[in-house]
Amino acid sequence: MERTLVRVENLKKYFPLMGGVFRKVVGKVHAVDDVTFDIYRGETLGVVGESGCGKTTLGRTIMRLLEPTSGKIIFEGRDISRVTGSDLREIRKGMQIVFQDPMASLDPRVTIKNSVGEPLMINGIARGPKMRAMVLDLLQKVGLTEDHLNRFPHEFSGGQRQRICIARALALNPKFVVMDEPTSSTDVSVQAQTLNLMRNLQDELGLTYMFISHNLSVVKHMSDRVAVMYLGKIVEMTPHDIFARSLHPYTFALVSAVPIPDPDFAGRAQILVGEVPSPINPPTGCRFHPRCIFAQEICQTEEPLLRDMGDGHLVACHFAGELDFGSSAQQEYAEASQES
Amino acid sequence: MASADSVLRIKDLYVNFYTYEGVVRALDGVQLDLKRGDTMGLVGETGCGKSVTSKAILRLIDPPGRIESGSIILSDKDRNTGEITDIDILQLHPKEMLGIRGNKIGIVFQDPATYPNPVFRVADQIAEVIILHQDLRRDALQMKIRELESILQPGPRPDECDISEDSSQSSASQRASSPPTPLPPEKVESIRQRIASYQAMMDDPPKLDKKTLKAAARQRAIDMLRLVKMPAPERVGDQYPHELSGGMRQRALIAMALASDPLVLICDEATTALDVTVQAQVLKLLNELKAKVGSSILIITHDLGIVAETCNRVTVMYAGTTVESTATHELFENPIHPYTAGLLNAVPKLHENKERFDQIVGSVPNLISPPTGCRFHPRCKFATDICSTDRPELREIKPDHWVACHNPQGEF
Repeated sequence: MERTLVRVENLKKYFPLMGGVFRKVVGKVHAVDDVTFDIYRGETLGVVGESGCGKTTLGRTIMRLLEPTSGKIIFEGRDISRVTGSDLREIRKGMQIVFQDPMASLDPRVTIKNSVGEPLMINGIARGPKMRAMVLDLLQKVGLTEDHLNRFPHEFSGGQRQRICIARALALNPKFVVMDEPTSSTDVSVQAQTLNLMRNLQDELGLTYMFISHNLSVVKHMSDRVAVMYLGKIVEMTPHDIFARSLHPYTFALVSAVPIPDPDFAGRAQILVGEVPSPINPPTGCRFHPRCIFAQEICQTEEPLLRDMGDGHLVACHFAGELDFGSSAQQEYAEASQES
Repeated sequence: MASADSVLRIKDLYVNFYTYEGVVRALDGVQLDLKRGDTMGLVGETGCGKSVTSKAILRLIDPPGRIESGSIILSDKDRNTGEITDIDILQLHPKEMLGIRGNKIGIVFQDPATYPNPVFRVADQIAEVIILHQDLRRDALQMKIRELESILQPGPRPDECDISEDSSQSSASQRASSPPTPLPPEKVESIRQRIASYQAMMDDPPKLDKKTLKAAARQRAIDMLRLVKMPAPERVGDQYPHELSGGMRQRALIAMALASDPLVLICDEATTALDVTVQAQVLKLLNELKAKVGSSILIITHDLGIVAETCNRVTVMYAGTTVESTATHELFENPIHPYTAGLLNAVPKLHENKERFDQIVGSVPNLISPPTGCRFHPRCKFATDICSTDRPELREIKPDHWVACHNPQGEF
């Protein structure tokens, strides 16, 4: 079996910007701009970045919920970027998505049994008592019981609703699941439950995850590899711990802004100056150069390409490996807590 | 948990919501003690009553909610005499509350996209708070004196007139319009006389007309924007909220909350909607402001990282009750209540490589029929018989460490 499950090649997604009296296209939002990467079987690929960096758009475009502007999406060796109709439906059985807000993605007037069973009915896999049995099996997998079958979404807590969404995503036995901020609307204790459940399901069913989140600590714990996005581009893709070893200045800045749950390290967060530039007119050259303290002339003119640093660690920076970021409070905290 | 230097004390606060499904006992004997100059974190999961507590402090609980009993004492210290007067917020007439809300207690809400009014300019919104709560007569006089002085430039500046620290920017535009030729001496004399007459009025300033009032308030609003490190405050003041980014909007809201120099500033999940990099900017700002303004700050959050970053005291809430309250260092090193310990363990650590997270089993109870005794007992590993029958009182288990638990863990 091939190692790569999903391959994304030069994927672009631009949203047109209308303006003027005749609703002409006056610009383009470069949401995802020329992204290439592989997702291997059985791994979890974490995708992090600030809001507006294109991580959700990337997830949705791979699922073909949004039409790619150009580029290829190869799923199990087949280019699915132009597939339509019943072929697309067939492919979608193999890939599913769990959305951010579980309340908004469950129909409030449909019982849990029918919500979770809908994919089974639509694809003609099961209906009636057989569907009920399959739904029950799915619900039990995510830690719910038979009593919950005929209830409505409002009767559940946020964490339970998210588990229902996960059960529904698993109904068709997919190989690849995109998790779009699955725990951003839940509390710490519930978040731990949901993440543990996702891990268990991955071990049990051999799933491959693309885990999109803005919470760096969660991504670090869940992922085998982490992709860092900035303004529609992947700037770094690393199999290492992003807190311990980052080579792109943006990744380092992002990691250094995470609050440390230890008062001894208070006030040490490093502040990234400025704000994210508009994706309508992204800066020339390296997109991070206006905010980068290491920026040189070349950064303004030439766009750095993702290059392999030797061990599968990809970085898009002209000076990757040459820069000395110093040590972040987060690294010192990690060292201090490992010693004690 | 009362002491002399408290600025806000909540004792046995009960709030119920009367819904069709039944009575939701949202707050069930909440205790809180915010000391002068402290920054306190109020931590807990969704539905534990953090936001209800903050709304109760401002008496903003809408029906079907009702404050049943308890007391919220605000200790107002007179800035000149140092005299302390205690006000029980729950006993005040709704009209008297207008003098408290936004004046003695300021609040910053969670979502910066919904809170600034979209149809008014940023500076005008901040100025509104200032006009409502502050005496601007002296400000207006100073403004007039500055204007006249700028005409006299580069004339001498009277020493006795104390000009606030940021007069330079405001007079710059005036200076530009002043005539290049030197003024005739009799004119200079008359201006000097007017300055002197304004200065004489300083002790008992006259009433203001609307235009001067607005101009003075706007000046203060821009000073506030400068205080919260807004880039180009004059220009931002003339913009509408939709033209600002999330972080800038949150800064504007903090400026608004601080505009009347409140005794207490409440930040209700003020950075939850922001990205980590912007959050770090706002938290740094809050830490800097702590030193500059005299307000005590109550930070409501579910993120223990933010607490560690900004607060020197923490109060932990669970299902409408206060379970633990102590200094931040003590809480992180020695959590005594089993819930606090579980919460600290559930936070993903930066340095560990765990296959599975530590989790607290079960979920937050339904507050219509909350568990008897200790509300945490159904999820607690250490629960004994007494936990399901008797409610634990919040007691000082070791100096300055208050816990409500029958079977406290940790060292004490």
